[in-house]
Amino acid sequence: MRPTIVFHIFRKDLIETLRDRRTVVMAFVVPALVYPLLFTLLGSVATDKRGELERTRARVAAWGPVPEATLKAVEQQARADVVDRRDQPPAEPEAEARRLVASKRVHLVLLTPAGATGPSIPIRVLADSTDVDSDAMARRVSRALADHDAELLRQRMTALGQDAASARPLDVREEDLADAARRGASFAAALLPYLLLVLVATSGFYAALDLTAGEKERGTLQTLLTAPVRSVEIVAGKYLAVLTLTLAATVCNLGSIALALARGTAAMETGARFSLGLSSAGAIFVTVIPAALLIVALLMAIGVLARSYREGQSYLMPILLLVMLAGFASFLPGAELTPGSALVPLLNVTLLVHDLLVGKAGGRQIFVVWAVSLAWAVLGILLAARVFQTEQVLLSGEKPWRDVFSPRARSGRGLTPGNALAFAAVLLVLTFYGSALFERRTSVAALILGSQLGFFLLPSLAWCRLFRAPLAETLQLRWPSPRGWLATVLLAAGGWSVGAVVWEQLLRFPGARAYSDWLGELLGKHGQLGLGAALVLVALLPAVAEEVTFRGVVLAGLRRSGSRWIAVVGSALVFGLFHINPYHVLAASLIGLLLGWVALESGSIVPGVLIHLVNNGAQVLLDRMPGLAGQMRSSMAVALALASTAAGAWLVRGSRRKDPEPVEPAPVSLAAPRT
Amino acid sequence: MIEARGLSKRYGEVVAASEVSFTVGRGEVVGLLGPNGAGKTTVLRMLAGVLTPTAGEVRIAGHGTEGEAFELKRALGFLTGDTALYQRLTPREVLRYFGRLHEIPEAALAARVEALVARFRLSEFADRPCGKLSAGQKQRANIARAFVHDPPALILDEPTTALDVVTGRFLLEAFREARAAGKAILFSTHVLGDAEVLCDRVVLLHRGQVLDQGTVGEVCARAGARTLTDAFLARVGDEVAA
Repeated sequence: MRPTIVFHIFRKDLIETLRDRRTVVMAFVVPALVYPLLFTLLGSVATDKRGELERTRARVAAWGPVPEATLKAVEQQARADVVDRRDQPPAEPEAEARRLVASKRVHLVLLTPAGATGPSIPIRVLADSTDVDSDAMARRVSRALADHDAELLRQRMTALGQDAASARPLDVREEDLADAARRGASFAAALLPYLLLVLVATSGFYAALDLTAGEKERGTLQTLLTAPVRSVEIVAGKYLAVLTLTLAATVCNLGSIALALARGTAAMETGARFSLGLSSAGAIFVTVIPAALLIVALLMAIGVLARSYREGQSYLMPILLLVMLAGFASFLPGAELTPGSALVPLLNVTLLVHDLLVGKAGGRQIFVVWAVSLAWAVLGILLAARVFQTEQVLLSGEKPWRDVFSPRARSGRGLTPGNALAFAAVLLVLTFYGSALFERRTSVAALILGSQLGFFLLPSLAWCRLFRAPLAETLQLRWPSPRGWLATVLLAAGGWSVGAVVWEQLLRFPGARAYSDWLGELLGKHGQLGLGAALVLVALLPAVAEEVTFRGVVLAGLRRSGSRWIAVVGSALVFGLFHINPYHVLAASLIGLLLGWVALESGSIVPGVLIHLVNNGAQVLLDRMPGLAGQMRSSMAVALALASTAAGAWLVRGSRRKDPEPVEPAPVSLAAPRT
Repeated sequence: MIEARGLSKRYGEVVAASEVSFTVGRGEVVGLLGPNGAGKTTVLRMLAGVLTPTAGEVRIAGHGTEGEAFELKRALGFLTGDTALYQRLTPREVLRYFGRLHEIPEAALAARVEALVARFRLSEFADRPCGKLSAGQKQRANIARAFVHDPPALILDEPTTALDVVTGRFLLEAFREARAAGKAILFSTHVLGDAEVLCDRVVLLHRGQVLDQGTVGEVCARAGARTLTDAFLARVGDEVAA
């Protein structure tokens, strides 16, 4: 894949889309206008209504022997007028009350059954809770009645020479711990996740449709296919264009929604207030990104199956409905982010945004949802890429999905970049949930053994078999050249020390030291593992299993992109991502860059295994030999390590043996080039 | 320069093209003629590397689709009724875009675009969105797009259909000029009069198979007809009518 060609396609598609009034209006203008207008209107209506209710006197009917003193208290305290006074209640008081309330002649009826006497007079308040006016006035009158009741009790107790307080052994008052900001956040947490997801989907909807089905209908997709471009470059350029528009629209509209919600909650009677800080907005936006990656991939993959814009609208509507369904979860009272719900795409983002708004989510939840969503997004992007490589789809053939999903179309020998990313996505999900399972029930030794064998080594071998990738070629199972051996020795000798220095620097950042201490407790001399077990489990096993996975399967797939940079950087990032903690992710990615480059240059898996082994082994030993660790931090030792690493890196360049076959790029359909 | 060797394309049980073979030499214009549904578009798409043949081989300037598709596409200018222009881009932007996809250096591309704007008389509307152009203006811009990377071979499907006489004549003159410059041109058309005056040789395609090929005179002689239209009707007319 050539980045410049992808950029040209991306730029052209972005310009063309921005010149399409329909897309711009639907993605930017409509949401930017609709949300503020909607909330301003609702807020204004609510404020007006509240004011009107406060100014209006309650119209009350009093039927039966309701005490006059009570009616007088209601008139004074609830600002009410008794407009319908009957000594005898009607035969069917509920029906009559309903009729009067519906006709707006009264807001409520106070009903005391005929003949009611004694120290306790029953009074029923008949009101219609579905009528806003009736409901509000009933609450006002009920409060007045409660106050009058308390006053009567006080008078009676005083007349009996008793303290009025003794009649209330418990003085119960309900108080809301949530302040106005939290009430506002709670309201926003129900609404905002849904709005955000729908916003992402609708923002990308028209752009995706225009650049897929729209282009097919207008005949420009075939024009593009006559140029020397790969289908994967076309899908990448188009995908980036739609994603850029979607995220831009999301940012614009997130601000507009936040503003609208702030005004909307200000008008709420509950006294709730909502304001979205920059950090919260940033966290929400970051959370929405993987959802956008997935939604855009699905819109592109499905959109291109359609032969016309109109057909595309029908095809894409179910995706919109799915997104809305996932967004509805924020309205459900019991919905929570759990390990199970975190696995469900889009639903996990809804619940995370909800939890972020009410202050229940932290960095760990964000990372988990991000990682899981990213895995889903990768699968979605691969589906889009797969669809774009199908002749029948691009040329508007009949029943194109048959070609997309047919086993014959999928068959092929060896790994591809998309295949490698799919493998990484599958491993990520497997590792996350598998680790959670192991953590609860097993020892550290079993956890490491199980994860290295069960999540890395065995799945890697199974993946190669599944996709008929020859093991020796895929994993580069060959000895390095003599120069490669020398480079390996130098890199192994110096690399671990350079890595330790980098790690020391990272420990300066907040939270890194705590993580390092936790790792030390788990794997170090105070942990459960003896020295021998630690060397095998922490050094040897990961050196083999992780090299087979990341410098074997993942690198093999990515290097068939035709770009060495994509292969090395991509495999390093994937390797880093599996270390979960942000500092460890950074450190592992840096080591991954070196290991990936060494694997490519040496043409062998062996140097990577040895460098990895020495690096991890050194950490185990240093933890148990503090004196040695101090010596290794001396300027001279660090300088020697740097020199050794630099010399090794220089020597390993082009040290690949001449005999291996040259690496071919991934086969691409539509007669795309194989250069 | 353009070679089709036993090209076949099947969609399940449907045979869209079967064993189609012909060549177009340097400085030669060959007409690919056939009724609707004859398989012309399928053959042209296979030649352009847009469609993968079920069997057979394509060579454009010596390059095949297997492993050399980039070289093949760089050597070919392709225009069919299905290769439309971007409605919201201007002809100048379209030319620049395709020039960049062909990896022409920016400085050379600017000069090349201006040369094409002048050659195909696009200057009046070169900065107007393609969606607002007339059919003739669009076709001139589209042909300029096929010429942007100065390919040695051209495949032009119905380039003069639905154009006014002036524009049609102008384009035929441009194709003659390209032939004189040594380019190989495969020319598909329903306007048999155009084929008669422009083509050095013709290939008659029917139901995915080559019925006949040769110079216009040879094809007419074999069909016992005086004109290409009569020869065409003599070979396929009865079946089409049926």
